[in-house]
Amino acid sequence: MAKKNYDTIEDFLIDESFNNWVKATRLTDVDFWEEWIACNPHKKDLVFEAKDIVLGIQFMHIEPSSEKVDTTWSLLEDKIKAKTLEKSKKKSPNYFKLVGIAASILLLVSVGLYTFNKSPEKISYKTAYGEVLNLKLMDGSLVTLNSNSSIYYYENNNRKVWLTGEAFFEVDKKITTNAKFWVLTDDLNVEVYGTSFNVDTKHKKTAVFLEEGNIWLELKNGATQKMVPGNFISYSSVDSRIIERKEKVASRFKTSWKDGSIIFEKLPLVEAIQKIEDTYGLTAIFKDEDCKSKLITGGVPITNLSICLKAIEKSVNVKITKLKNQLIIQKK
Amino acid sequence: MKNLSDEYVWKALKEGDLNAFSILYKTYYPRLYNYGLKISRKIHLTEDTLQDFFLYVYEHRENLSDLDTIAPYLFSSYRRHLIRALKKKSKIVSFDEMDVKIIDIQFSPEELITHQESETFKNKNITTLLNKLPKRQKEAIYLKYYSGLNTHDIANVMELNYQSAANTIHKAIKNLREEVSILQLINS
Repeated sequence: MAKKNYDTIEDFLIDESFNNWVKATRLTDVDFWEEWIACNPHKKDLVFEAKDIVLGIQFMHIEPSSEKVDTTWSLLEDKIKAKTLEKSKKKSPNYFKLVGIAASILLLVSVGLYTFNKSPEKISYKTAYGEVLNLKLMDGSLVTLNSNSSIYYYENNNRKVWLTGEAFFEVDKKITTNAKFWVLTDDLNVEVYGTSFNVDTKHKKTAVFLEEGNIWLELKNGATQKMVPGNFISYSSVDSRIIERKEKVASRFKTSWKDGSIIFEKLPLVEAIQKIEDTYGLTAIFKDEDCKSKLITGGVPITNLSICLKAIEKSVNVKITKLKNQLIIQKK
Repeated sequence: MKNLSDEYVWKALKEGDLNAFSILYKTYYPRLYNYGLKISRKIHLTEDTLQDFFLYVYEHRENLSDLDTIAPYLFSSYRRHLIRALKKKSKIVSFDEMDVKIIDIQFSPEELITHQESETFKNKNITTLLNKLPKRQKEAIYLKYYSGLNTHDIANVMELNYQSAANTIHKAIKNLREEVSILQLINS
């Protein structure tokens, strides 16, 4: 580590090793900075001030729901279309009615895309590839269901849900009854009181990320695990072991999908493409082996496949061709 | 973090692609809505000005210069748009001091996540302390930690130079740290 002078707040803030210490991501940096503070007691205030600037203040995002945004968007879209038509002076009211009807049919179709199982008490929801669904369960808990996923529960026990695929949960706390909420997968059960967390069962394992609150995991091998906010645990019942564990993961990496984007940080292209494959049910073929290891950093939208692929093409300088259900990836 | 697709969406939008515009709209509407509500504290006014603003962006898309990222542009021009609307409503003519007077962001305890990463901000009176900060410092804190803008973008939005924006954020954190340690002294 290069010895530098740290005299102003800015000197700390722009220093990568300082940031690593604050976020406790690299042990060598942690050691270095603990020693540095001990050797420079007169700069302790400055160090901790810079630390607070990096850590910042965490806010809850209280914002209009996606249904609300969709509604205001369609109002604006109508207005834009009406204005464009006015300009070109092709006034044809009938055509407009048709567009309106078509739009409302489309809306109905997309609302109706989840399947409602009519057997007396089992309630289930399913999403197609590329579709994300916001649900409110009977007890008031909110679920965002990612693409190609399904969830079901029984009417008489609506705080116990079975999940295949990926979903983000915001569970309502039942203060009066203290009733628990359960998420069940092939690998483990999540025991919840009231909190928000992400569960992903793709690729024969279940990965849980806790955003807020406290949860307990009951693994299929009988062990239990307590999780605190920021924790990420991935367990496979096939291997009967925890395959990945991280103490502190930034929420945006695990839950950005529900806002319509995926965020990568120095992720090999092959892993980034895996996410796209999962979302759209596609298979990727790498023509050039060395494309796989190209690192990608940044966010891409997942609500629109062609824009998503163009963004990836541009950032890592590859060519991606979509052929039926395949993505062909090659050098430019 | 840089959004890889911003540039592409921006280009398609300039060509009049409504699909690209809907992505832009749906991505930024919620954040701008919250920002507008923080400034105006009026739901209807926020909704109306935001619709007008997006219509304006679409109609004037050809005149827009190319951008590295869309976020700072949208935040700064919506801010101007909203301030203009607020001025019209309150019939205040003086121009220069208005921004500072109008923008007085208030935080409520429910907005802060209980599990703060920093020990300093775990203090239970932190919302009160935040609200006691000077107006500019509150807005800078809001833009940095709620809206997720970087210092360069914040400078743009608040019409400051880079150094003043950085100083405003540093001073806000310094103030909060001092207030928290005073409270701890009193309570110990």
